[in-house]
Amino acid sequence: MTPVLRTDALGKRYGRRQALTNVTLSIPARRVVGLVGPNGAGKSTLLNLASGMIAPTTGTIEVLGSRPAADATQLARVGFVAQDTPVYPNLSVGDHLRLGARLNPGWDDRLAQQRINQVGLDPTQKAGRLSGGQRAQLALTLAAAKRPELLIFDEPVAALDPLARRTFLQSLMEFVAELEVSVLLSSHLLGDLERVCDHLIVLAASRTQLAGDVEELLTAHYRLVAARGDLDPPPPGIEVIQATHTARQTTLIVRDTTGTLRDHMPAAEHLDLEEMVLAYLGRAAEPVPTANAGQPLEVSR
Amino acid sequence: MIWLTWRQFRGQALVAVAVLATLATYLVVLGLRIRTAYEVNVDCAGCSVETAKDVFENAYFTPLLLTGFLVVLVPGIVGAFWGAPLLAREFEAGTHRLVWNQSISRTRWLAVKLGLVTLAGATLTGALSLLLTWAASPYDKLFDGRFDPLLFPARNIAPLGYAVFAVVAGVTVGLLVRRTVPAMAILLAGFVLLQILVPTMVRPHLQPAVTETVAWTAANARGLMINGTGEVRTENFAVPGAWVLTSNPQMFDAAGNPATQEQIESCPHSEPSVHKACIETKGFHMTLSYQPADRYWTFQWLEFGFYLVLAGLLAGFAFWRIPRGLN
Repeated sequence: MTPVLRTDALGKRYGRRQALTNVTLSIPARRVVGLVGPNGAGKSTLLNLASGMIAPTTGTIEVLGSRPAADATQLARVGFVAQDTPVYPNLSVGDHLRLGARLNPGWDDRLAQQRINQVGLDPTQKAGRLSGGQRAQLALTLAAAKRPELLIFDEPVAALDPLARRTFLQSLMEFVAELEVSVLLSSHLLGDLERVCDHLIVLAASRTQLAGDVEELLTAHYRLVAARGDLDPPPPGIEVIQATHTARQTTLIVRDTTGTLRDHMPAAEHLDLEEMVLAYLGRAAEPVPTANAGQPLEVSR
Repeated sequence: MIWLTWRQFRGQALVAVAVLATLATYLVVLGLRIRTAYEVNVDCAGCSVETAKDVFENAYFTPLLLTGFLVVLVPGIVGAFWGAPLLAREFEAGTHRLVWNQSISRTRWLAVKLGLVTLAGATLTGALSLLLTWAASPYDKLFDGRFDPLLFPARNIAPLGYAVFAVVAGVTVGLLVRRTVPAMAILLAGFVLLQILVPTMVRPHLQPAVTETVAWTAANARGLMINGTGEVRTENFAVPGAWVLTSNPQMFDAAGNPATQEQIESCPHSEPSVHKACIETKGFHMTLSYQPADRYWTFQWLEFGFYLVLAGLLAGFAFWRIPRGLN
């Protein structure tokens, strides 16, 4: 099956600022993919590249096997909801649905009407007067009713209050179940995505730090705790993501690259998603190690 | 897409229709009055053309000049208020990110928006220009000054070229600047600059001018000027219906020598018409460059075409730019 998103050495530069560096990804179909990273990590850049709003500086990107926004057919296959869920303030909710119906050959009007009723939007209301949550619901309806194969959301819940966040994500999951689409959504808060996504990409400092199916990632990551010095050198077949030392004890967050860690370290414990992601973000946030820095992976707490 | 363009544009279109209706009423009334005045003052037995010109100038010079300005201004306004915000407002509000993700290519989106708004701008301007051309035609016939820089751009098809150019330029500037108010300002400044540069630096050279020696006649000369070095020049010599490019040409006598103050003063000071008639008998002549009257339509088409080519270049750039995304 064609991957929904495939990038090869993808890079994007704005003037002198490198927004995305050497991103190589392949995301399988039928996943709900969470794209996590701090503000300014390059999440929007990646999603805008995937929707064809901008063109890459280096490397290539393919969405559902074609160049993003290559033609009307390709546009029909991807639904993109941009950051801050833009809508036309002077057009009513009903006008937006008419816009969708006229500009999308595959428009599912029954679905659109049903969603609008379900979330309680008044078709005669001007979109400029909707609350943030209602606007997000309208944008979601518009993107979903064109019946795309891939739905992309850029920070859909960033501007919403906690209740609206939950409602929105719930609607989203209902859609996914009903329409069998792949979904790619970003957030700077892992908590927003934790419950909905089954594939994760961690982006920080313009590079991918981690990418994979959530279950596989959780299976491969461990916390090792031992007296100081016992883990020096660390056991073979692992990658140390983060090392924390106190006076008497060493804690390592590691990735088991061979699947054999438990055999020689039965005490190794699994992490939850947040701990794992934080370890990667912590590593990305460190200053680039210089040649004479003794232990580049060390974080002292 | 046509529906969406209309839905976004209909407010402005209604304003335009209201403005057009008001101005059209005014121009029709003005045109009928000018026709009545023409019958009374020109098409009558024993009427003097000079008197008729005075009557017409007093009554209709100002209204025709001001409506003429309006006909040139409307394309600028249309470019600034319809063209410049067409894309810039989408970028400012971020709604391009909504519409660019519907199942329609950006090229088609731009083509429909640009096409319809350009058509609306050209229709509005064209209607006004044709109404004014009709209303002013007896006046223009009487004064025979169709090439006048104040009349030429406000008659016939030249304003259509301005309208097409202004809308396309507004859209292109909006695409580059991506902000509505600066785009409007840049468009207006550019439009005004062209309206000054084209009549002074481009239009006279669109066709090689005719350069000829013509005899000095009392009917075509407004007056004489004698400067400090004793050169005699004629003030604003007119060739009927033509666009004279030489202002104040120097006069020469029948023998080909520069006319002198003494030759002029040999005619006794009296009534201006008698004085002029006396000077005419001396056989002065001068060298003039001018665009003949029968080139009027050539120049109208050239002016229209010049702006259309500019618009085409800008539109070509916009259509090249838009599929490449915003980088």
